Amino acid sequence: MKSPYGGERQFPVVGIGASAGGLEALSALFGRLPPMPGAAFIVVTHLSPNRTNMLPEILGRYTAMPVVEAADGQIIEKDHVFLNSPQTTLTVADGHFKLNPRTEDHNPIDVLLVSLAVNFGERAVGVILSGSGTDGSIGTKAISECGGIALAQGNDNGKLKFSDMPDSAIATGFVDCVLPVAALADRLADYIASDRSVEEDKIANDINDDKKDLHELLKLSTGHDFSNYKEKTFLRRVGRRMQVHQIRDLRGYVEFIRRDPTETAFLLRDLLIGVTSFFRDGESFDALADLVVPHLFDRKSAGDMVRVWVPGCATGEEAYSLAMLLREGLDRHANEVHFQIFATDLDEKALAVARAGRYPSAVLQSVSRERLERFFVGEGSSYSITKEIRDVCRFSAHSLIRDPPFSRIDLISCRNLLIYFDSGLQNRVIPLFHYALRPQGYLFLGISENVSQHTDMFGPVDKKNRIFQRRETSNRRPEILPFFFQLDAQRSLPTQAVPVANRHSLAKRAKDRILERFAPAHVLVNREGEIIHYSSRTGRYLEQPTGAPSRNLLALARKGLDPVLRAALREAVASGRRAERSQVSVEVNGGAVQAVDLAVEPLTDGQGDTCWLVVFTDANVVPHPATPSEERADSHGGDDTVLTLQQELSDAKQRLQTVTEEHETSVEEMKSANEELLSLNEELQSANEEMETSKEEMQSLNEELNTVNAELSAKLDELDRANSDLKNLFDSTKIATMFLDNDLIIRNFTPAVGEIIKLIPSDQGRPLSDIATQLDCDTLTSDIQQVVETAEAVEKKVSRRDGKRHYLMRIVPYRMAKNEIKGASVSFVNVTDLVLAENHHRFLVAELNHRVKNMMAVVAAFSQQMAKRYTTVDDFAKAFVGRIQGMAKTHEMLSLSGWTHVGLADLLVAELSVFVVDAEHYRLIGPDIRLQPAAATTLGIAFHELATNAMKHGALSQPEGRVRVDWRIEQRTGSDWLVLTWRETGGPPVVHPATRGLGTEIISRGVGYELGGQTGIEFAPEGIVATISFPTADALT
Amino acid sequence: MKQRVLLVEDEMMVAMGMEMALSDAGYEVVGPVGNFDDAENAASREAIDVAVLDVNLRGRDVFPIADILTSRGIRFAFLTGYDRSSLPPRFLSFPLLPKPFRAEQLLATVASLLH
Repeated sequence: MKSPYGGERQFPVVGIGASAGGLEALSALFGRLPPMPGAAFIVVTHLSPNRTNMLPEILGRYTAMPVVEAADGQIIEKDHVFLNSPQTTLTVADGHFKLNPRTEDHNPIDVLLVSLAVNFGERAVGVILSGSGTDGSIGTKAISECGGIALAQGNDNGKLKFSDMPDSAIATGFVDCVLPVAALADRLADYIASDRSVEEDKIANDINDDKKDLHELLKLSTGHDFSNYKEKTFLRRVGRRMQVHQIRDLRGYVEFIRRDPTETAFLLRDLLIGVTSFFRDGESFDALADLVVPHLFDRKSAGDMVRVWVPGCATGEEAYSLAMLLREGLDRHANEVHFQIFATDLDEKALAVARAGRYPSAVLQSVSRERLERFFVGEGSSYSITKEIRDVCRFSAHSLIRDPPFSRIDLISCRNLLIYFDSGLQNRVIPLFHYALRPQGYLFLGISENVSQHTDMFGPVDKKNRIFQRRETSNRRPEILPFFFQLDAQRSLPTQAVPVANRHSLAKRAKDRILERFAPAHVLVNREGEIIHYSSRTGRYLEQPTGAPSRNLLALARKGLDPVLRAALREAVASGRRAERSQVSVEVNGGAVQAVDLAVEPLTDGQGDTCWLVVFTDANVVPHPATPSEERADSHGGDDTVLTLQQELSDAKQRLQTVTEEHETSVEEMKSANEELLSLNEELQSANEEMETSKEEMQSLNEELNTVNAELSAKLDELDRANSDLKNLFDSTKIATMFLDNDLIIRNFTPAVGEIIKLIPSDQGRPLSDIATQLDCDTLTSDIQQVVETAEAVEKKVSRRDGKRHYLMRIVPYRMAKNEIKGASVSFVNVTDLVLAENHHRFLVAELNHRVKNMMAVVAAFSQQMAKRYTTVDDFAKAFVGRIQGMAKTHEMLSLSGWTHVGLADLLVAELSVFVVDAEHYRLIGPDIRLQPAAATTLGIAFHELATNAMKHGALSQPEGRVRVDWRIEQRTGSDWLVLTWRETGGPPVVHPATRGLGTEIISRGVGYELGGQTGIEFAPEGIVATISFPTADALT
Repeated sequence: MKQRVLLVEDEMMVAMGMEMALSDAGYEVVGPVGNFDDAENAASREAIDVAVLDVNLRGRDVFPIADILTSRGIRFAFLTGYDRSSLPPRFLSFPLLPKPFRAEQLLATVASLLH
């Protein structure tokens, strides 16, 4: 990094990002900082482009530094606070501000921090304060990658209301400190102060011892030996950690790291920071796609798997890039080939980011639009990898240096990792890649990396783009074994057992020398028999078998040693005590036999881990060559037998070897699978947590739904009740009513409608015109139509076609709540009784009219008849009035009985009463007889004539005269006849009249004519006897 | 030879009056008859020149008797206290003497029937 300024102006540049809730945090931050802290501050906030920026004024109250809105080309100055303007995006270049027009995807904090990281490197400081969204995360990462430090606001006793932005930055794993805002300001001030005094050269010089101690510490606690790392890179990373903790010299940092073991983890992370992006060095990826990808698939047949290993995958960009490339390659390939990408890294936090597969859009600028659409799902300001790509990538924690490599890999992509390794480490890693690859497998390195020292292992495919292909080497095996074991041994041994070699005293060296020279050869093995430490000179007893390297003691043991060793080891493990074997014959170099004494004894560290020390000593006595079996072999003359057996043994060992190799390969794969399962498990757990959250949300939603449901069902109950009231009303009302809509569709009706129009419940919804009515009203539908249209009610009298029922029909418009007409209601009031009564009344009037006219005709006829018989007007008048009175009496009686009937005795009494005859003068004897009106009229006239005659000439003209009337029912010619006799006694002597009088005429003709009966009048001397008889059939009721 | 007039009237006094008027005018009265059966008998069997029929015979319509007379080609007039509208359509144009009536009216009607 080239600074445009002199050394004295090497001030830090602090980029501060804030959003929602940021004003409070910014005020607190600047209020707490010293007046002239000694750094430049650039504050970027999310501002609406349409609002006036009040921030300069507000912040000016909290700091003595000048607060200005940054202008294009303005120089970045110490002890100034610069702000972004709402319309622009702020970047820096060559110590000046550069303003760009605001873009659609507005992430100004990322933009500024990335540009600070690129321009100022270790001088850059990123601070993420309160805010929502994820802006700033990528910037934080960039700052950290370039050696600057990143700070974020932590939970501030609840003052941090919008934690999304800092949380997102923290989640990247690149934030160095998370502090409440006040502590953040203090830390920032300290850092700025310390920054001025820390100088790289100072760390680099005079501190070799401290550096070695640091290497030693790292090696002990992490298993990584960084002594081979490029010194400058290493020291830069360490310097950054020292700045974070404000430690001035390396000595102090070494002490600090001793006190705080967690710091080693942070230092390790910083040392291992990967700088990655999607399709980094696009040309190289294009070359890979053209030169390598087609061959990868071509070699495979259907169902095969292409295996790709991405060591040091960091946050996964490279692994995903390769997955996309392969996926695209697969499109052009016919076979059903699958591929799998094993992406490994030491850094669990980075792996977590990789597994999430979600990237801010800013990082995706190197991804083509086509790929973005195909392989990503947009989620606001970030993009997620599609499931298709995510599923073929397996992320697992794995150390390239410490853990055994993957095997049978088709392509290894290890870009920009080797640059962190010095040549020693590189020389170990590259053979390891050679080992891991299949024959013809490919190696893809970063632009600044090379395999120039290993041209025997890898040949170039594309030199410029660093694509290499594995070469077959027959004689050279990778020296990976000791490389692992050495580190493993360091890790496995108890810490206290190995004193920290911070002093290299002569005494210790002497001790080591003596041990090396005089101690017997020995190895340390673990419970499984795997060697974790070798002493010198073990080669006499142990030998690498052919095939894959092994660390199993039994596999390594020379011929003759392994069965004995196995037994002794088992005994020692089982008993926990020392086990010894002496005089064991071992075939050493060149087929010579050497007798060896063996001792296996447990070695326990303070924490309960047990190793077994296996000590080999050459025995002085040469073993007896002739064992019984050998003797037997000899006796059978069998050197050949021995040779055959040895041959078989050798074959068996080879087979065993093959099996062992296969076993180990599968173990490695199992391990990788296991790690994958672990990560899968984590994903499941997080999915589970999400499900729990969703479940809670669902529960609360469910509760709400329950409440709503309860309300609804209460309303439904009310509705049911109202409906049932309505139904009961409909059923109970006798008034037939129909409800029709605008199209005359039947909506509802009362059961009483059934007697007018044959409606059944299923007729609801049918047009009225479909149903036959029994009404004689053909205009029913047009009437209803008219009511619907005019909204005026219609009232009409209608009848059923059979005429038995009559109704008053009322058609009324059906009004909705808003007075809107929605059809009509038609009701029928049964007025049959009224109509009948009316008809009866009309009949009665007509009948009366007829009777009156008839009566007049009779009266006229009387007067006509009488006029001829009476000589004087006086006589005529008397007789005429009497007859009218008699007729009136009968009418009166009939009228009293409602023109139904008159009793015979009552009629007699009434006619006699006209003449004021005392009851003692007559006797009435006979059964109760009821006369019909016509018969009563005729008999009334007859009785009147008899009574008139009796008063004038007969018995009633004398006080002692008597009239006796008796009657009975008689059988005559098969029918009932009423026979009535009027007999007078005690009157004056009867004189037979010369001519038949009118009275006699009326009696005889009337009875004969109107009753079909007979009359007879006997003028006996003691009194008249009149007999009237007629058939009862038409005369009596 | 006297003209024979069938008189069908159920009201005795009215029948008597009509009989007297017709006899005085020189007609020979057949009847009078006051019930349906006698009237039917007379209409079917008696030699009649002309007839006067009361529409209502104790509740029975006289029209079947009118039909008999029509079939025999005998002209007749109705007597009634009701309107002409109470007549069946086939008799609507027949002569009708409304009750009550004077003797002169009766004689005029009978005379018109004979010419």
